[in-house]
Amino acid sequence: MELHISSSATKAENFSSAQLFVDPTRHTTAPLVTGGSVVGIKCSDGVVIAADTLASYGSLARFQNFSRLMKVTDSCMLGGGGEVSDFQEIQRLLENLITKDFCFNDEHIQTPRSVHQYLGRVLYAQRSRLNPLWNSLLVGGYAASQSFLGVVDLYGTTFESEVLATGFGVLLGLPLLRKAYRPDLSINEGIKIVEDVFRVLFYRDARSINRIQVATATSAGVTISEPYSLETKWDFEGFVNPRSTYDESTW
Amino acid sequence: MASIGTGYDLSATTFSPDGRVFQVEYAQKAADSSGLTIGVCCKDGVVLAVEKILLSKMLLKESGRRVHLIDQHAILAVAGMGPDGRQLATRARQECEQYRNIFRTPMPGHLLAERIAGYVHVHSLYWHVRPFGCTVMIGTWELKQGPSLYMIDPSGSFYRYYGCAAGKGKQGAKTGLEKLDFRQLSCDDALLELAKLINAAHDESKDKPYEMEMIWIKSDTGKASLVPPYLIETVRQRAEQLAREEEMAD
Amino acid sequence: MWNASVVAVPATESIQRPDFMPYQNNGGTVVAIGGEDYCIVSATTRLGLGFAIPTRNVCRYSILNNRVVLATAGMFADTVTLHKVIKARVKIYEEQQDKPFELRSAAQLLSNTLYYRRFFPYYTFNVLGGLDEDGQGFVYGFDAIGSGEKVKVVCNGTGQALIQPILDNQVERKQQYENKQITNLSLEEALDLVKDVFTSAGERDIYTGDAVDICIITKQRGVFVETFQLKQD
Repeated sequence: MELHISSSATKAENFSSAQLFVDPTRHTTAPLVTGGSVVGIKCSDGVVIAADTLASYGSLARFQNFSRLMKVTDSCMLGGGGEVSDFQEIQRLLENLITKDFCFNDEHIQTPRSVHQYLGRVLYAQRSRLNPLWNSLLVGGYAASQSFLGVVDLYGTTFESEVLATGFGVLLGLPLLRKAYRPDLSINEGIKIVEDVFRVLFYRDARSINRIQVATATSAGVTISEPYSLETKWDFEGFVNPRSTYDESTW
Repeated sequence: MASIGTGYDLSATTFSPDGRVFQVEYAQKAADSSGLTIGVCCKDGVVLAVEKILLSKMLLKESGRRVHLIDQHAILAVAGMGPDGRQLATRARQECEQYRNIFRTPMPGHLLAERIAGYVHVHSLYWHVRPFGCTVMIGTWELKQGPSLYMIDPSGSFYRYYGCAAGKGKQGAKTGLEKLDFRQLSCDDALLELAKLINAAHDESKDKPYEMEMIWIKSDTGKASLVPPYLIETVRQRAEQLAREEEMAD
Repeated sequence: MWNASVVAVPATESIQRPDFMPYQNNGGTVVAIGGEDYCIVSATTRLGLGFAIPTRNVCRYSILNNRVVLATAGMFADTVTLHKVIKARVKIYEEQQDKPFELRSAAQLLSNTLYYRRFFPYYTFNVLGGLDEDGQGFVYGFDAIGSGEKVKVVCNGTGQALIQPILDNQVERKQQYENKQITNLSLEEALDLVKDVFTSAGERDIYTGDAVDICIITKQRGVFVETFQLKQD
């Protein structure tokens, strides 16, 4: 009995210091300050991506005017969700990448596709070190008369599609985007669609806000709008009196 | 040069009895014997220009460039040994990147100049390194400060200028620069002034042909860029024409 | 005297956070059939994640040369990376040796590449198909860490358990009620079979659906790819 107690005590004493020596670097095992969904849609003459301006600290709406969209080059834009500090690290990497091209002055610039591929490799490399950049990223762009829209996640998964969303947007937004998508959408129609998606997200995603930014990439270049608020409507029957919908649906 | 051959010029680590470091002075000679390099800080930006002597007729145009982009907001021009200048350009790029990584804002010109000057300076302190055989000009543009221009010589000393010149014919160029009104001068107008100064310094009968290189940062965009070749060609022809007219008038 | 420490043990252990799990299952099913003078390598295009379908159209196969095709199910990020590695090695080989990369070499390379990561595996389930040196169709199936064998027919991925028995039965004539002779399937019959098994698997496996890319490898035409639509539900 006594032996048992003393060995446990030794274990207890060594535990915290052993932990320090085994793994002196701390990795991201959970995100702290997070951004929510990003959605994007290809249009006939460009691409639209959008994100709300909220950076949450757990369930706290911590930073309500945080821009999650970035202009990478004149033809490429980036939207990010997930860990905010990791997103800023990614922004830094891209700035350095772009500045190197700038200094070479050989007309070579990163295309949206190459930015997407680059981020895919960076995030895959980090996840392989078990120290992921905890983000979901949307890369949009318009280069050589071609629209590009791709996504990268914290595992380094990369793929392209006509409509894309991250986070809750995959569950609540993608069906709407797929329904609304046509190859001949105009940019303004595209903006309208992503606004609708964010309205729905605001109603149902508790980590969202009705203040968004929209970025577009067209032959005229990349523009990122100032943040603006979406009109919301709360007097739907189902919102006012949730019981009224019980007959038809379970949730 | 009475002191040559007295043994004090073999190492940059030894002063001569009269207080000079000959190795550094020789490096300055290397910088002074190259084509004329001029920088001007205007009311709306900063412009650097180089008279790049073409050592062979077979040289491809725009090769061996002497003006370099350092960052979105910083430029550099070299008088003296091209490779030495390129190493400083590379170093300057690293400094700018490092600064941006830490402070997330473009590197201020005075810090960039100070860092590069320090780098040049340490190369004048040790026997196992050779001083840089070049003088470099650094132009930057900042949101609050606007444009600024610095020149760093092989000793590592650096100063901020309205206008500066290095290389062959720098005396004449300096005299010309002193006549300019930098409070009024715009970058666009400066191009012609620089072309005139380089043209005046160049003796066609004696010197090898040259290529004019120009780089600038203008306030309207705050972004560095090489001056487009057609603009350089225009001001160069204009400068040559003005010179001919002047000759005729005499 | 020791009591305080004894109490502290479980408390200290319980504040440990779970480590990051570096794997993700994106599903997908791959099937390969080797015939007398052809080979079929096919892969679904759905990218699944939990109960969501982030996209319906990804490419899970790589044409290594005009007689070898690789198809992979499992984690998509690993799939893309593995294909990059294999394609680069094949390219280097073909540049240096100036001859096509043989099917069996590709199988060995793939096995080595997977086993190299034995203790941090690529979460991928591969099939490799093509024509061997004699022009005969053969396929290889591998697990995530490089074990594999040369066979006539194989299925890997989330639909494996649904499809493999059917392929065994139909292609290799196994478990037949009356022991029937092995008859070689023609290309057309094999194609129909592939389409059928994917359609069936799509009914029961949520990670199989949307479409299937079918690579047909013949000596005459090289690699020819067709896409067969599946249900999107």
